[in-house]
This record gives sequence, C-alpha cells and structure tokens, in this order.
Amino acid sequence: MAEAGVFADQLSGLPEKILAFNKAVTSKVPIAQTPKEVVWTLNKAKLYRYVPVVPEAKRQKIPLLLVFALMNRPYILDLRPGHSFVEFMVQQGYDLYLLDWGAPGPEDKNLKFDDYTLDYMPRAIRKMKAVSGSKEFSMLGWCIGAILATVYSSLRPDDGLRNLILLTAPLDFSNKQGITFGKWVDEKFFDVDKVLAATGNMPGEMIDYGARALKPVENYVLNYLKLWDNLENPNVVEAWKAMNTWVTDNVPLAGGAFRQLVVDLYRNDRLMRGEWMIRGERVDLSRLRADLLTVIAEGDHITPPCQSEAVLSRVGSNDKEVFRVPGGHIGIMAGSAAHKLTWPHIDGWLRPRSQ
Amino acid sequence: MADERAPNGKDFDPMGGFREARDNYLDAWAKTMVEAVNSDAYAKASGAVLDTYLSASSPFRETLEKAMLHALQQLSMPSRADFISLAERMTNIEMKLDDVDAKLDEITRPAAKPAGPKTRTAARGKRKGAK
Repeated sequence: MAEAGVFADQLSGLPEKILAFNKAVTSKVPIAQTPKEVVWTLNKAKLYRYVPVVPEAKRQKIPLLLVFALMNRPYILDLRPGHSFVEFMVQQGYDLYLLDWGAPGPEDKNLKFDDYTLDYMPRAIRKMKAVSGSKEFSMLGWCIGAILATVYSSLRPDDGLRNLILLTAPLDFSNKQGITFGKWVDEKFFDVDKVLAATGNMPGEMIDYGARALKPVENYVLNYLKLWDNLENPNVVEAWKAMNTWVTDNVPLAGGAFRQLVVDLYRNDRLMRGEWMIRGERVDLSRLRADLLTVIAEGDHITPPCQSEAVLSRVGSNDKEVFRVPGGHIGIMAGSAAHKLTWPHIDGWLRPRSQ
Repeated sequence: MADERAPNGKDFDPMGGFREARDNYLDAWAKTMVEAVNSDAYAKASGAVLDTYLSASSPFRETLEKAMLHALQQLSMPSRADFISLAERMTNIEMKLDDVDAKLDEITRPAAKPAGPKTRTAARGKRKGAK
C-alpha cells in the first residue's frame, strides 16, 4: 500500500514537474557577470579588460589574453559567478583580457583566418600592451581560438608572446578515421562552395547541429533527462540553465574562415604539413618559441586528443608541457570539476612564467 | 513514513527499477549512435540530404533575391549589396582610426616614461577616483 501511495504522490506532482521543466528549458539566466570594460573594438570584435580585484603590487606582471572560438560566444569562460574561469583568474591576480569576435554579418562572409590573425589579433594585442603597459603577454586559445593563437604565434614570434596555452586545439587533421567532422566534410559528401553560396556565412544553427549530432543521444535525450531527474536540485538546475543559455546562443562562422577550416585543415591538413599559407606567409610551427602548455580533454569528441598531441613535436618552444584532463571538450573548462583540476593547473603553470 | 523506506534505508522509489532500465537502454543506444554517426554511410546520407535541400531551394532563393532587388530598385531603396559595401567601408575606416590610435599611443608613451611606474599608477588611481 505504501508503494502505491508513493507512486500516487509522484503522479500527482507530475504537472508541476512538467511546468518546472518547461521553465528551466525555456528561460535564460544571467551569464558573464565578472565586471569588465571594452578597451578596443574593430568591426564586430571587442577586446574586454576585466576589472582587477587584486592590488597592483600583488598582480601578475604579464597580461593574459583569452581567445575563444569564432562560432561560439566566449562567455563560456565566464559562465556564472562561482563557476567562472575568468573570475578565478582575476582573483589569482592576472591582468585579464578577452577577445570577443562577435557575430559576423553578411558583410563579413569573406573574412578568413588571414584577417583574424593578421588584422584583428595584432591590433587587439597592440591595444592590450598599451593598456597594460607590458611589452610581453600570455595567450590562451581554446578550440578554433587555439588555431588562431597557434597561427598568430608562428607568424609573429617576435611580438612579445611569452606563454601560450592551447586548450583542446584542433591542429592535426591527419587521422582521417578518428575525426568524425573530417568524415562529414569529406569532398565526396560535402560541397562547401554550394553551402556557402546559399548561406554566405556558415549558420550557427548548422554548426550547433553538427556539434550535437556527434553525440546525438547525449545531447538530444540524456541532457534533458538529467534535468528532469534533478529538478528538485537547484544547483543542478542553475548549472543546466547556464550551460543551456550558452549552448543555444549560436554564432555563424564567417564563410571564408569556414572554407579554410574545411579545405585547408580538415581535408588537406595543411597546418601540420607546413603548407598553410596565410596572406602569402607560410605558417611554420617551428617558429613558435613561446612557452607552451597544451591541455587535452581525454573524452573530447569534438577535438579528439589525436588532433592536439603532435603540435608539441613541431613547435620551436624549449619549455613545453602537455596536460591531460578527464572530461569533454567544454567540460574540462566549464564542468563541475574544472575549478579543482584544469583551472588550478593552468594557474600553477602560468604563475611562475608571468613574473 | 517508516514504511516508505526501502530495506537499505533509502527513500523508496517506485520508479527506480524503470529508471535503471531506461539508463541502461539509453547508454547502449548512445554508444550505437556514436558509432553510426562516425560511419561513412552517415556522412554520405547527411551530405545527400543537405545537397538535395540546397538544390531544391536554390531556384526559389534566386527568384526571391531577384524580385527583392527589383522591388528595392523601384522604391529607390538600398539593397543588401549596398549595405555590405557600406559596412566594408566602415571597417576600413575603423582600421584607419585604429592606426591613428596606435600612433597616438606611441606618441604618448615616451611622455609617460619619465614619470616612472609609481607615478603612473597614482595617476590611474586618480582618474578612477575622479569618476
């Protein structure tokens, strides 16, 4: 009888649970709360400086620039108070800057990696140096941001870059069987010019579909079941809502950059083969001399570990380290264990190199 | 309330068994689907679907674009191409302004040098305070 009573209780609470679920799925939460100011803009790009909370005498001397991917909002780095890499690093005394690429419009469909690495990044970095008063700087690139950071560091090795941190960096495209995206954009199946002729830029929704379709059951079913099963737990619900706010806030990828990503990298692996030309300059990884930390997510399905491992043997850096973290592409930086594992390791590596 | 607890002391959950079976099934399904999307067959099928959609929608899109362009011309209104051209010019102007900003930073930097880092810090603090 007791079993029937509990079951009846659960059934009677079902309408309320459905309402709560619907509210959680459809509502947005405040994100990117760490105070910041805009110090530079160009087209849609903005350079933010986070307001320091540590007295100047105790701050790290070398500023840190965060470069995120082109097709997602960078506030995953500053998701919500208490669960923010940005907030953590500011509290550790770093003079922190974030390069936000913004959302490209139809007028930006021809933007390429050439423009991002040789027009936007040098200008943003110049401004960061002027504001911070430091000739040297550190840079952290995540995902496509890691490609941009690597290309910039190889093309401009004398621009003052002292430390480079690459997170889940898709640099090596030689393992055709291990990279699912690579199969999808194979020239036998995917006509990149036809897609871009119709869309101009690669729509954010298509990129989002691609990322989710890599693990369809996890992303389309289990993700929502996790919320359903934990509706009574406010911590889980808040974390879920913040992540869902970020995941559903899609940004298109400039057509020119998307074409390069598909043709030059996924299909022809030109970066690792030393054949990638950026505005007439060959990207030579051996010219990259900054101290290098590569962070690899062992369970990454978007950038499998095989894409990030080979870079260490190609760069000219004397000081280089690889750090493997259990977790997925986003989870290693924004998951519940990030503040115990990834963030302290990055801080521990960077701190002595920022004096 | 005591009889609503299972022998192991945990709250009794009549749906527990169902949930466990559900999770096991979904785990198995998830693994199968990951393998499926990583196959050449899936890449071929998704490519074919996308190609069919683009081929089918292309005539409509082109017709609509031509009609829209014609309508805008008749109304003496700027087209998307006009706006794109304008936006590109704006970006070029922004770059020129950024070059000027860089030169200004270079000019002002030597002037700040003799003051030394301590004075510069004080001046920054003053500006913030003034706000």
